[in-house]
Amino acid sequence: MNGLLAVADLSGDPRRRAHDRRMQRLLGSSAFITIIISALILFVLARGSIDFLKSIGWDLGVLRDSSKAPGWFPRRERFDLITIVMGSVLMGSIAMLVAVPLGLGTAVYLSEFAPTRVRKILKPIVEVLAGIPSVIVGYFALKFIAPNIVDPIFSPDQSRNMVVAGLAIGVLVIPIMASISEDALRAVPSSLREASYGIGARKSTTTIRIVLPAAVSGIVAAFIIATSRAIGETMVAAMAGGRDGSGPRVLDPLEPGLTMTAAMTNAAGGTDQVNSGAPFQVLFFVGLLLFMMTMGLNVIGDRFVQRVRQQY
Amino acid sequence: MPIVTDSQRSATRTQVRQAITQQKRHLPSIALSVTLLIAVTFTLLTLFSLLARIVTQAIPAFSERGASFLSGTIGSEPDKVGIWPGLFGSFAIGIGVLLIAVPLGIGAAIYLEEYAEQNRLNRFVVVNIRNLAGVPAVIYGVLGLIIFVGWLKPVTNGGTVVAAALTLAILVLPVVIITSMEAIRAVPMGLRDAGYGVGASRWEVTRDHVVPYAMPGILTGTVLALARALGEAAPLIMIGAITGLLPETSLSGKFTAIPMLIYSWSGRPDSSGGNIGWSNAAAGAGLVLLALVLVFNIIGIFLRNHFEAKRVGT
Amino acid sequence: MKFKNWALVATCAIALPLAACGGSDSASTPDSTESSSNGDGGSVFVTGSSTVEPISIKVGELAGTDDGGNIKVTVEGPGTGDGFKKFCAGDGDITGASRPIKEEEAIQCADAGIEYVELAVAIDGLTVATSVNNTAIECLDKAALYALIGPESEGFSSWADANTLAGELGSAYALPDAPLSIFGPGEESGTYDSFVEFAFKSIAGDRGTEVIARADYTASPNDNVIVDGIESADTSLGWVGYAYYRAETDRMKAIAIANDEGVCVLPTDETIADGSYSFSRTLYIYVNKAKAVENPAIGTFVDLYLSAAGVEQVVAAGYVQLEAAKQQSSVDAWTARG
Repeated sequence: MNGLLAVADLSGDPRRRAHDRRMQRLLGSSAFITIIISALILFVLARGSIDFLKSIGWDLGVLRDSSKAPGWFPRRERFDLITIVMGSVLMGSIAMLVAVPLGLGTAVYLSEFAPTRVRKILKPIVEVLAGIPSVIVGYFALKFIAPNIVDPIFSPDQSRNMVVAGLAIGVLVIPIMASISEDALRAVPSSLREASYGIGARKSTTTIRIVLPAAVSGIVAAFIIATSRAIGETMVAAMAGGRDGSGPRVLDPLEPGLTMTAAMTNAAGGTDQVNSGAPFQVLFFVGLLLFMMTMGLNVIGDRFVQRVRQQY
Repeated sequence: MPIVTDSQRSATRTQVRQAITQQKRHLPSIALSVTLLIAVTFTLLTLFSLLARIVTQAIPAFSERGASFLSGTIGSEPDKVGIWPGLFGSFAIGIGVLLIAVPLGIGAAIYLEEYAEQNRLNRFVVVNIRNLAGVPAVIYGVLGLIIFVGWLKPVTNGGTVVAAALTLAILVLPVVIITSMEAIRAVPMGLRDAGYGVGASRWEVTRDHVVPYAMPGILTGTVLALARALGEAAPLIMIGAITGLLPETSLSGKFTAIPMLIYSWSGRPDSSGGNIGWSNAAAGAGLVLLALVLVFNIIGIFLRNHFEAKRVGT
Repeated sequence: MKFKNWALVATCAIALPLAACGGSDSASTPDSTESSSNGDGGSVFVTGSSTVEPISIKVGELAGTDDGGNIKVTVEGPGTGDGFKKFCAGDGDITGASRPIKEEEAIQCADAGIEYVELAVAIDGLTVATSVNNTAIECLDKAALYALIGPESEGFSSWADANTLAGELGSAYALPDAPLSIFGPGEESGTYDSFVEFAFKSIAGDRGTEVIARADYTASPNDNVIVDGIESADTSLGWVGYAYYRAETDRMKAIAIANDEGVCVLPTDETIADGSYSFSRTLYIYVNKAKAVENPAIGTFVDLYLSAAGVEQVVAAGYVQLEAAKQQSSVDAWTARG
């Protein structure tokens, strides 16, 4: 003991360091569980899809069969994918027609126009809307949007149709559209706005010509991520969309239609034991397709979000 | 007495403004303001009419049934049903999420923010978590059906509330991780440096300084995740929740949850002349779910605002 | 101090999932002997047809009372076919069916070593219906229905489109030139199976076509949606269970069905019970014999199902009770189960 510190002393108590490494491994394994989850999702969907393709004899023509009248009737071995993809696209488009103006308008108002006091009240309200479960929006679609809005205006043949479901899905994704766009708008540095005011531009000019263009990648991201959510929405489409798999009529949005998600719930039908045969296995195939579609959209959307971060 | 009175000041303001804007009302400005206000009004109106519809439809269920609507079981007559099995299922799911998703999620967030090096693997983990957050709920249902109902049948006993809780825990795990990561990232570097400076190990700094500082943000994520799990119905359809008759509730038997009851009841015919129809029963269950979810959400938003306000001060 | 607590909670929580999984594991073990030891009167699980589900629910509600023996009956209704798949895999004490078990399903049960008793419990009439505003159509025969909804009718958008085919098949009815919109249950439903069997089987057999309906009709698993559809279009055509028709008589008009002698018969409680209305079918429950021996609650529940109180529930659920002789033969089959 000559009072000098050795290097070993600086590295600390070995027991504490060992404990630190143990914690690192424990925490690390919980992070890597997410990789396992993704792998399992892909494995389950891919395995089921292969089973499905085997049971239709790898004949991909079955998925776009023009010899019979098209339509999605798994139990009759009619798997016309276009029917359900169109169902998803149609209802998703109607949803975005609602969500983009309302969501973006709310975001611009919140970020550029609202006095602090109003913003403090309005923002939580929009967040409350974001927290409303989709079954409740489905109920709202059945008991309010259908009888009080769509029926009086369009008088459709059936009260459950793609317009009703589309509008309700739109309600569901307004908050996503609003909150991501608002983040993007607020990320625009105030120096840009001040420069614009400084040369005498009005608030409206500044908003439209300066702030919106500067935030465009974030707004695109909001649009893409909201679209992905709209396509992935299950309950509203299943409750209010009519769940009708007959094909040729899907182009009329006032007809009932079937989305990919609703087709999946139909195939499962609430039973846990029936897992055999193409009509059930197709569930995995549709699931895989849906997974790819939403993941593709999310990845692109995320790119745009990152771009906003890098810009400012 | 102030030299310039308030009335003088506002008169001057008006004068200056008129001079700058050339006393003309600028049409595009008005158009933009009006458009935005319409958008905001519509958004608020939607929320309001949704809440109003649920509440007005739910009133008969509560005023005529009272507490028995909460304690009764599901069945064939809308004026006699209760939501107890759904409450039990939803509570069990909530507890499952708390026990599984929250610790795993916080652990993963700590690792990714405090321990993980910036390498390709860890970046991939983060990107993967973001993707998982965007996977549709119905796909988690397929996962639950195959893994928790099928492969893990010895553990879950098939389509039980345990399988449902595990499925929903996995569904909300990415939400917990992402919000916790954001909370941990917001912890000032100085706090960590101070800890290391007095010789604390990484785990000690994390445990004693970073996590406590980030706790409000982490709690917000937890609460929002819980709300999300309570409201999901699509995975439960895949797993196979009961909507017919379910007199007993247990962890190892058949189950149902409030969102499933709303889904099933709102599709039933409503013309049987009684005071309480299926749409009232569905709205009653909806009101209970909304109350639960909104309370969780409001707690979460409050916590976050509180936290943000505090941080501005430091 | 406060900080330490948070950390403690977090670390404990990380270890908890393991404990939680272990907990649920042990909770499930005693469940294998669940039925008779649990509660007062034991528990029964009923799966199967969504058509039989309302009866099982009503009888189950009765069985849950003190008079019924405090039996805890869980009922789900995924469908007849799905129900048999579960039942023949040993899951479910009882399965409801809106048709007798099919040969391949019976083989599945036999392969799994599951013996069962088949018990008729009620009759369901199918009602072919149109809008109350449709005065042109009062009665149809099978040939006309085959021409309107059968496998060869795809694309017909007016009732008159079916005239050539109906005439070819010897139909006695000329169909009006009015838009044809068709609503019915989807193929997952027992009501669909029964309808195609009642309406198309004989003709499809002669013509060598499949016993299926055209694909381009509005199919819904939800009877309320079908009723909405039939009500909404003036010249609609659809079919639903008699129970749904009887609950909604003011919203749709039943079309009489001509029997083989050409006599039009409307669906009523009487014509369905005595079999003169041809579109009616018997509903069944299938009881797992081995489970009934193991679990006395199943026996008590089935006794109740076949008793006078059970028959009341059949009527309350909107179906037609069996004729006395048929009811007695169900009781006999149950008593003689061995």
